[in-house]
Amino acid sequence: MEYKDYYAILGVEKTASEDEIKRAYRKLARKYHPDLNKEAGSETKFKEIGEANDVLSDPEKRAAYDQLGQGYRPGEDFNPPPGWDQGFEFTGRPGNGGAGAEDFSDFFKDLFGQARQQRQSSWQQADFNSRGQDHHARIIIDLEDSFKGAKRQITLKVPELSPDGHLVLKHRTLDVSIPKGVREGQHIRLKKQGNPGHGNGEAGDLYLEISFKPHKFYHPEGSDLYLDLPVTPWEAALGGKVKVPTPGGMVDLNIPANSRQGRKMRLKGRGIPSKPPGDLYVVLQIALPPANSDKARQIYQNMAKELDFNPRSHLATGS
Amino acid sequence: MSNNLITDKSVISLNELCQSCGLGTKTIISYVEEGLVDVGGDDTSRWQFTQTHIVTIQKAHRLERDLRLNPAGSVLVLELMAQIDELKNQLRRYQQSGEE
Repeated sequence: MEYKDYYAILGVEKTASEDEIKRAYRKLARKYHPDLNKEAGSETKFKEIGEANDVLSDPEKRAAYDQLGQGYRPGEDFNPPPGWDQGFEFTGRPGNGGAGAEDFSDFFKDLFGQARQQRQSSWQQADFNSRGQDHHARIIIDLEDSFKGAKRQITLKVPELSPDGHLVLKHRTLDVSIPKGVREGQHIRLKKQGNPGHGNGEAGDLYLEISFKPHKFYHPEGSDLYLDLPVTPWEAALGGKVKVPTPGGMVDLNIPANSRQGRKMRLKGRGIPSKPPGDLYVVLQIALPPANSDKARQIYQNMAKELDFNPRSHLATGS
Repeated sequence: MSNNLITDKSVISLNELCQSCGLGTKTIISYVEEGLVDVGGDDTSRWQFTQTHIVTIQKAHRLERDLRLNPAGSVLVLELMAQIDELKNQLRRYQQSGEE
């Protein structure tokens, strides 16, 4: 078993008082709570903090831990695989400092197996033939998968207790069909892939919450898509027809004359093909040609001479 | 494997929700009373929870339990988080436009 330096995890001295530990834990718990901190790894970190606090906030466990830790080098850092909290399946966080009916020989089981223990105890409270609890996990897919629908194999990491009482990560691979038109935040239900039922109750369901990888040029918002479209100054000023990518392929877009920077144009029904389909919003971004040749400079100079244009006229008074 | 998309049209009742996520009715009612989710009217037997509601309620409950909040506090946190997310999205769009 890997030795964990719980003091380092909470950032406190070995001599820290109970109050110091409490303060350190509370501060870190707010910082890394996975519902508040969306960075990869926050869930792992949060669990570690919880585990460290669970031990260090309980005088008996702390004493046992201190004794056990003698002669060990303060921790090789536990290195969770990158992105571990993505596709992580959970029913809840281990209870915090649950009352101590645990006996000492089960010390490590208690330390590393709480998630399971809690789950078991919640089964015990349930009716005899009850349906298993539902599980939730988040998966990250390509936006394109939603344009046409797709079949994807996903791997979820499920914490399980090994026979010797250690928490191990089991990988579970599932085939999932991504329905066409799925939006961020929607859920796919896999029937009976949640917790096993109790007695004759059937298993719970597994819900997968959809999120998208950032896309090269589309920004999804619900079932609408936003696209920044670079245009030349003359296209914006004189109008013209340009080609625009949409989930269904390239389409022609008419740019009206005298379009301003940032003009938003709606292509109805060209967003994510949900029911009803979302819209595609094209936002014009006027790109200036660089004045990097005599000819280009000449044209700019002509414009300066010929056009009566002062974008700062409203600043002229200075007050 | 049977597999279906949950739309906002598939709803479950308060009892089914308790079964699904293992929370007590009291807990769930406290969130509805705080206005975290709008599940339709005062009659608890007619409440309808969508998948989005369920996930929101579970988040609120985890925050309440893990950070020693009360229902009003966790609902406030979630509302502020939603605002921050919205602002971050807007900011990202502006920054990307600016880089062109």
